[in-house]
Amino acid sequence: MSNIIESKGLSKTYNPDTIPVHAVNNVDLAVEEGEFTALVGPSGSGKTTLLNLIGGLDYPTGGKVMIEGVDITKMSENKLIDFRLKNIGFVFQAYNLIPVLTASENVEFVMLLQKTSKSQREKRAIELLTEVGLKDKLDKRPSELSGGQQQRVAVARALASKPRFILADEPTANLDSASTENLLDIMAKLNKEDNMTFIFSTHDQRVIDKARRVVTLVDGKIVSDTKK
Amino acid sequence: MLFKIAWRNIWRNRTRSLVVIAAVAVGLFAGMFIMAFFQGAINQEIDSMVQTQLSHIQFHNPAFIDDKGVNDTIANGHAIVNRLKKDPDVRAASGRLITTGMISSSSTASGVEIHGVVPEDEKSVSSISKDVIEGTYFTGDRKNEIVMGEKLALKLGMKLHNKIVLTFQSKTGDLTAGSFRIAGIFRSRNSSFDQMTVFTRFDDLAEILGTTTEMHEIAVVLKDGQKSDAVAGGLKREYPSLLVQTWTELSPQMALLSSIMDQMMYIIIGIILLALMFGIINTMLMAVLERQREFGMLMAIGMNKPRVFMMIVLESVMLTCAGVPAGILFTALTVGSLAKHGIDLSAFSQALSQYGFSNFIYPVLKQSMFVPVSLMTALTAVLSAIYPAIKALRFKPAEAIHKI
Repeated sequence: MSNIIESKGLSKTYNPDTIPVHAVNNVDLAVEEGEFTALVGPSGSGKTTLLNLIGGLDYPTGGKVMIEGVDITKMSENKLIDFRLKNIGFVFQAYNLIPVLTASENVEFVMLLQKTSKSQREKRAIELLTEVGLKDKLDKRPSELSGGQQQRVAVARALASKPRFILADEPTANLDSASTENLLDIMAKLNKEDNMTFIFSTHDQRVIDKARRVVTLVDGKIVSDTKK
Repeated sequence: MLFKIAWRNIWRNRTRSLVVIAAVAVGLFAGMFIMAFFQGAINQEIDSMVQTQLSHIQFHNPAFIDDKGVNDTIANGHAIVNRLKKDPDVRAASGRLITTGMISSSSTASGVEIHGVVPEDEKSVSSISKDVIEGTYFTGDRKNEIVMGEKLALKLGMKLHNKIVLTFQSKTGDLTAGSFRIAGIFRSRNSSFDQMTVFTRFDDLAEILGTTTEMHEIAVVLKDGQKSDAVAGGLKREYPSLLVQTWTELSPQMALLSSIMDQMMYIIIGIILLALMFGIINTMLMAVLERQREFGMLMAIGMNKPRVFMMIVLESVMLTCAGVPAGILFTALTVGSLAKHGIDLSAFSQALSQYGFSNFIYPVLKQSMFVPVSLMTALTAVLSAIYPAIKALRFKPAEAIHKI
């Protein structure tokens, strides 16, 4: 299998001139297509920073990130935005939906940015929300949905742009057990049936248990990398 | 969808948005109402001057303008008046004898401008006959009647039917005088005019002056005052030896005042919008800073900077322009009502009449101002959005996403 993501000597140091904090320290990581990978580690170990670097949300202070052979650390900010739109899906801990749009409109929004036609957007939004079990919540705004439902809308939104992989930063941190279980099932199903690559940071043992690969970070360094 | 998001975002903080919308509406109302008030006052002043003094077009001997000499007359005045009365563009024409002199009562005297008029003609070009508050405006065939302003009558201590003496220079250069009986007292909008002007019959004044068919002035009122320049142009070519002037040439200060009203309006509205701009910037800045996480997310999922900028500008334009229809509607309703009933300023009547303004001002709202005012407001909204938008564009997605 080919590597979809590859980092080499990836580092991110905050306050390099005063009191340096090495959030990510010389990380080499390769992720193959179709993996279901969990980044684990204690708070402050660099999980979110590593996800931000892999997702092109931040620039490293050293090393590089290759996405399907393209070094994204060399891209300008504007090119990175476009690259993210076409290649990466994001799921955030706090859901981060657009509060003034309905579930369906939130999913459509990413496709709008991709200039997809209205009819195609509507069709795909319904398909995706049906896939995550929210067919009856199309016209509900985030404030009318539970946390678990909002996170499922966020997953549908992440899938809407047909990304190469999805990065999820502690996606279950704000969810109850049932919602967590439900979300994990959906993510696992997408991974298994659509071969969608997932990389997620988590503290949650139930999530770790579902992952097929677990990468453990401590002080910004990979201390273990286990494939099940 | 950007429009939808922008519109819905406005109503996320309903109270804050309504305050801005109300501020824009009230600001525009204030600006447009002030201008409608002044436009109405100036229009009334121009109408008043045209009706009492200027008319639309006047003829003079060119030398008369400088020193109003008794001999600086229009030789064939009656023929010209008769010709003008037949002109299809002319509603009325009236010949006048004009001289300056002294008016004396038994106790005091005052300088005045004496107008010798043909009452039947003058009624059609001047509103003074309608301003008579006591007595009549030259009825019957009695000789040596005079009509004077109320203010002058008070100054002279004279009443209706009292006798006064007019003293002035005759055509031969001799000092001459005539005794006149007060037939009517008028009160126009302009107290200065009332104090300085008296009217006699044309023939009575001509007899004392020693003139025959000559005139000093021919006043012309057109059917359509807007055609003054065009009609005057034709008359200038027809009577090259005479000075033919429109009211704008006779009173350039009034013409200037009328023409600068539009510019004044844009300046006043501009100042109001400038003040409003700070409120809009503040509101938009608060909205942007409150939604840092949202902007971080939008940029993370692939919304590029021009779109983020556009979304903030759209929000600002929608927020600001929501107040425009309300402001215009409120102004139109208010001015529409006051244009019928007038604004009563009789508490300031003395000061107003000195400048020729009426006690009642009827505001005039130019509908042509709505489009430029709306565009100015939209421009204000765009300018107000620039700083908050730049602020949003500086957010780093990785940091902004985690802001609380």
